[in-house]
Amino acid sequence: MNGAVWIRQVAALSMKELRQLWRDRGLFAFVVYVFTVNIILAAGGASYELNRVPVIVHDADRSKPARDLAYAFQPPYFTFLGEVADPAKALAMLDREEARVLVDIPQGFGERLHEGTQPATIQLLVDASHANSGYLAASYAASITSHFAAPWTQQTLIRAGIAPDQLPRADARIRLWHNPDLNEPWFHTVAELTTMMTVMCILLPAAALVREKERGTIEQLLVSPLSALQVLLSKVIAMEAVMLVGVAVAIFGIMQPIYGVPIRGSLPLLFALTAIYAFTNAGIGLAAASFARNSGQTGLLIMLIVMPIVTLSGTWTPLESMPAWLRSLMTISPLRHFVDIIYSILLRGAGLSVLWSPIIWMIGLGAIMFTIGVLRFRRQYR
Amino acid sequence: MNLRRVLAVTQKEIREILRDRIYLALAFIMPGMLMIVFGYGMSQDIENIALAVLDEDGTALSRDYARHFTDSRYFTYVGHFRSQQEADRSLSNGRIKVVIVIPQHFAQRLMEGGASPVQFLVDGTFTTIARTVRSYLDATNLAFNAGLQSRFISARLGVPQSQAIAILQPVRIEMRYLYNQEARSLWAIAPSLMMFTLMLIVPLLTALSVVREKESGAILNVYASTISRGEFIAGKLLPAIGIACLNACVLWMIATLYFGAPFKGSLGLLALATLLFVICAAGCGLVVSFLVRTQQAAIIVATILSTLLAMQYSGIMTPVSSMTGATHAIARSFPPMYYQNVITGTFMKGVGFDVLWPDLLFLLGFAAFIVSVAHALFRKRVPA
Repeated sequence: MNGAVWIRQVAALSMKELRQLWRDRGLFAFVVYVFTVNIILAAGGASYELNRVPVIVHDADRSKPARDLAYAFQPPYFTFLGEVADPAKALAMLDREEARVLVDIPQGFGERLHEGTQPATIQLLVDASHANSGYLAASYAASITSHFAAPWTQQTLIRAGIAPDQLPRADARIRLWHNPDLNEPWFHTVAELTTMMTVMCILLPAAALVREKERGTIEQLLVSPLSALQVLLSKVIAMEAVMLVGVAVAIFGIMQPIYGVPIRGSLPLLFALTAIYAFTNAGIGLAAASFARNSGQTGLLIMLIVMPIVTLSGTWTPLESMPAWLRSLMTISPLRHFVDIIYSILLRGAGLSVLWSPIIWMIGLGAIMFTIGVLRFRRQYR
Repeated sequence: MNLRRVLAVTQKEIREILRDRIYLALAFIMPGMLMIVFGYGMSQDIENIALAVLDEDGTALSRDYARHFTDSRYFTYVGHFRSQQEADRSLSNGRIKVVIVIPQHFAQRLMEGGASPVQFLVDGTFTTIARTVRSYLDATNLAFNAGLQSRFISARLGVPQSQAIAILQPVRIEMRYLYNQEARSLWAIAPSLMMFTLMLIVPLLTALSVVREKESGAILNVYASTISRGEFIAGKLLPAIGIACLNACVLWMIATLYFGAPFKGSLGLLALATLLFVICAAGCGLVVSFLVRTQQAAIIVATILSTLLAMQYSGIMTPVSSMTGATHAIARSFPPMYYQNVITGTFMKGVGFDVLWPDLLFLLGFAAFIVSVAHALFRKRVPA
């Protein structure tokens, strides 16, 4: 068989896949949604900054400093709900999540502060049922308290004859690179795009393959003069086309114009690597589909593979924080490498010279997965 | 509704599931496996952040300063740089998240008194991580300063260091973390993962149940039979609810026994909420199954829908209270957030029906709503 015919056959089959997707209007609309509206929703979705955490104060002291401290809990980070006379009532409010922080100022707080020989203690009760925001609330509350206390320190120091600015201190100047204002949509739109791409890239070809198995149309393909490789390749190519168009729409139609997500690196490189990434995932999907006999099995099997990949790829929890066994397991997740690549090209402006290692990993994984898929597919049907 | 006809459908479904060994194994093994992997990966303790040092001062004091960071469990020292260019370059592929640049004369400036600048270059790409890293850096820097200043004051005024500390920190905070005493997030997150895992799996259990029959044509038998629409839907839902409830028990045991999450509330209350939640989730899958035409579309739509609901709109990645705009509205109109409230309430707070009834009411309402949507979508007619 000559090459041109071979390619024409693959092209014809790929067109068939695309046509099928186009005709399944429900599915097609859903694909459009994922690359457009869904990205917008993800961008506006969340502010990880503390946002008006409700604070309740139990003030047993009723001195002026105590009142000043209570009123220091203000927006944007906190909302001061008011004072309660009865601590039990405050705890009930914490139970119902009406308040998330209780500031308990004991009797004698103002007096101790004036004396200045031993620290005046206050108690902070923080709702830590959401560990991360609990920790943030605690640290912001601590910094509000230390701001409140600073003038008292200064008074004592001046009385003792030390100029406050004479105190030695390391002045930490923290500069955020790549996203200096911590612009949330820059992070979230890319994270959402990679997540949805991963789910789609693995699912689309797997579902398409299993569908033919279930309906028996695969028999028709196999009696036709097509090789197993051609059958699989056509599914992958169709999906590649959908992905590349989808990513282009998401980046140029939404992320860049609406949210100003920067593109600091090379676009051709980005799209070339996106294509490779889609190919790698397609390999995973095909390998998984070759183990499944029907759509039910495929759905569950893919969920089992996809969810760890999208939740543990290092965007939410850094890989370094994971236990070692999980971290090494995630080395074989292509998304873990693609996350490095896409963020590095878009935000960090990196090029091939610093990205070669994740690229090699991704290509290697893709080649292995795809080979497994092709080999298993062949064995099942010859 | 005729119970016999419902059970006939259920029995047929169960038989189908039992004959598909791989599916059966997956349906029971997978939720537990996922939950364990998520537990280790998603516990939100951000630790061991890769950190590098560029020490241009090279004095004992500058090394001591750097050690405050490298010895902390929040950071892992990965090396030092000799030049600013090297440091800049290292931040461009994401392998290093923080570089401390200690300039020349750092120690000398400290000895002279006053502020001595240090620069921290932080990779801000992953905003959530960057924000936490920034607070760690501030806190560690404060700790260094507190030590330095208390030594300075005690030397200048000739007072014991404890009194110097009282001068520096006139207000001391006793921090108590409620509901999660040690703020260890593996405990905190394990119960939420019950919701997360159920939300991911359960819609998939029903998403194919109708569309499979549509594709194979078996649905025509249903159209022609005497079974009512409600009976058919009930029959389809029951086996999925059964599998999901058994899985919920396993997940509950993983949360409490394996991850050691405390359970303070009423088991009956959680069981009731779980049942309602599972009906909601299975109902979502069934609605997908009625809406789409092919199994291929059903898996894709169900998978993405449950992924979105579980990750984006459940409050597991960010509390619902910090959500804004449309996301907030969507989160409030789907069940995960309410079930999550019941889970937090029963696991960590030990609160009862008096506090949680609004959540249960919503779950009940949504379950009724989604089943009636499925009922409305189901026509016993061949589409023209």
